[in-house]
Amino acid sequence: MTRGDPVLTATGLQKFYQSGDRRIEVLRSVDLTVAAGESVSIRGESGSGKSTLLNLLAGLDSADAGTLAWGGAPAKASRRAVFLGIVFQSFYLIPEIDARANVLMAARMLKAPGAKERARADELLQRVGLTERATHLPTQLSGGERQRVAVARALMNSPQLLLADEPTGNLDEHTGDVVIEMLLALCRETGTALVLVTHNVAHAAKTGRQLVLTNGRLA
Amino acid sequence: MPWYLYLAFKQLFPTGRFPFFTAISVLGVTLGVAVLVIVTSVMGGFGYEIRRMIVETEGEIDVKARGYVADPREILAKVRATPGVAAATPYAKGAVAVLAAGRTAYPMFRGVDVNSVESVTQLGRFVNPRSSLAALDDDSVIMSSALANSLGVRIGDKIEIYSPLIIEKMKSDEVFLPREFRVIGDLYIGHQQLDSSTIYGTVRAAQDLYGLGKGVHGIYVRVKDGENEHAVVARLNATTLPPTMRAFSWMESWEDFLWVLNLEKSINFFLLLFIVIIAAFSVMSSLLISVVRKTREIGLLGALGARARDVALCFCAQAFIIGVTGTLAGVGLGFGVLAIRNDLVHGIAKIMQRQDTLRQFYQFSDLPSHTLTSDLVLTVVMSIVISTLAGLIPAWRAARLKPVEALRSE
Repeated sequence: MTRGDPVLTATGLQKFYQSGDRRIEVLRSVDLTVAAGESVSIRGESGSGKSTLLNLLAGLDSADAGTLAWGGAPAKASRRAVFLGIVFQSFYLIPEIDARANVLMAARMLKAPGAKERARADELLQRVGLTERATHLPTQLSGGERQRVAVARALMNSPQLLLADEPTGNLDEHTGDVVIEMLLALCRETGTALVLVTHNVAHAAKTGRQLVLTNGRLA
Repeated sequence: MPWYLYLAFKQLFPTGRFPFFTAISVLGVTLGVAVLVIVTSVMGGFGYEIRRMIVETEGEIDVKARGYVADPREILAKVRATPGVAAATPYAKGAVAVLAAGRTAYPMFRGVDVNSVESVTQLGRFVNPRSSLAALDDDSVIMSSALANSLGVRIGDKIEIYSPLIIEKMKSDEVFLPREFRVIGDLYIGHQQLDSSTIYGTVRAAQDLYGLGKGVHGIYVRVKDGENEHAVVARLNATTLPPTMRAFSWMESWEDFLWVLNLEKSINFFLLLFIVIIAAFSVMSSLLISVVRKTREIGLLGALGARARDVALCFCAQAFIIGVTGTLAGVGLGFGVLAIRNDLVHGIAKIMQRQDTLRQFYQFSDLPSHTLTSDLVLTVVMSIVISTLAGLIPAWRAARLKPVEALRSE
């Protein structure tokens, strides 16, 4: 896939929830195309449906209407491990294994990691500045360090698209800035497209395209 | 290693902390398996000891006559010449009444041929070293130790023996006097039933008591090493024995008793298997708690691309690992306890001052143990299968979780 080709194409995505007799429309009709290597931010108020949209884009949830394609082909759960990397607000590291093993976990989903995958995990940990902390358990890491491990894990399988859902939401301002800079730099270096969901206007401004989710539509 | 196996190991045995939940689950299976191993081995030991006592006192094959064989010489020679037969010895036996020092008992009188009995049995091993089977003559007997004690008879004392023939004689108004025997020794076999009710004398003494003339009731046979006793029995019945005689293996002779013993063992196994089933519920409970505690991690696995069936396999693998670990530890613990079983039993009996009761009610002075490979394999397989099945419900619940809902859970 070359720069400019669409890695993500969402057309007419709709999502609603039923609350008793009331139908709550979270996403009315979302159209979004993200090109390879592009970075896009999505802002919106709390409850505007940002995370719901990201879950739909990641294929973790199903839309009530609309279509979703990854790299020109219909999105399927079986392609997720290869095509996508996801960074969550709450890190979600596996507490029983160390930082290096957490990064390698993404590779394990595809096959048992060999020397190449281990070298890649070490390289990513070095890129996020955690070489010295590679053998530390998540409980021995700070919040910023945990999120950096999560970023390294998301990039482990060299995905074409990285989805980040409020990655700085649980971090202080300075640490959040560091993580966002690192995330953008890594995506630029690797040519990975980025969709960043954030509240932070300054962080959103650092992406190539800024979108706002209002009344269930992207603008 | 697939990720689900890797994660199963890591979740059960996490780096840097004691795996408390795993230890509790494994301990449950361990205790269940240990109890199963101990009980099946001890029950197997009873069976093995009984086999040993039967074979060592009666040989491996019992050729029984319908009534008795009037002249056993010819058939004895034929039996000895049968392929697979190592040795044969004639016997005559029956219940008698013993009168000694004003006390009466009704033991079994076993008349043996002192010249050939030890080529078939190992009776001599059980006789008090101060006497021997070879010293038996037609006026002497060797009594089982418990019987001698209950009658207050000591070596050198004389006893009177009445046979049921007295009833026949009385019908025809004949006087039939009891036979007087000198006790020249005692023997201790280790089985309460045999030790409390057996007298050994010569086959001629038994013939006199039962009015058999030169006849005998049967022939004990020992088969050659490596020969299958059932094959020899079949050969004897097919080619050697007349229609009035029939050979039985020791298992056939004691079929009912062995069946009861086996039934007891099977019932014990079945009942004790519930301990493993209860332990499996403990495994299931731990894994269900684990599924709840790790709901968000399960969501993450889905987000990373894990398939639902692999998530299920992760929890099934945990149950399997607990089952295997607990089972191996249980087998080890079971054999460990079996190794010191007699010290334990004697220690408890000593504290409770019940050493004699143990022998009286449980037939053996020591707790026997004999582990059959088939019993051990059954225990191990059942335990691992039941433990693994316990992982199915947690695995199903984990597989049903939708990543997006699991990640949202609090």
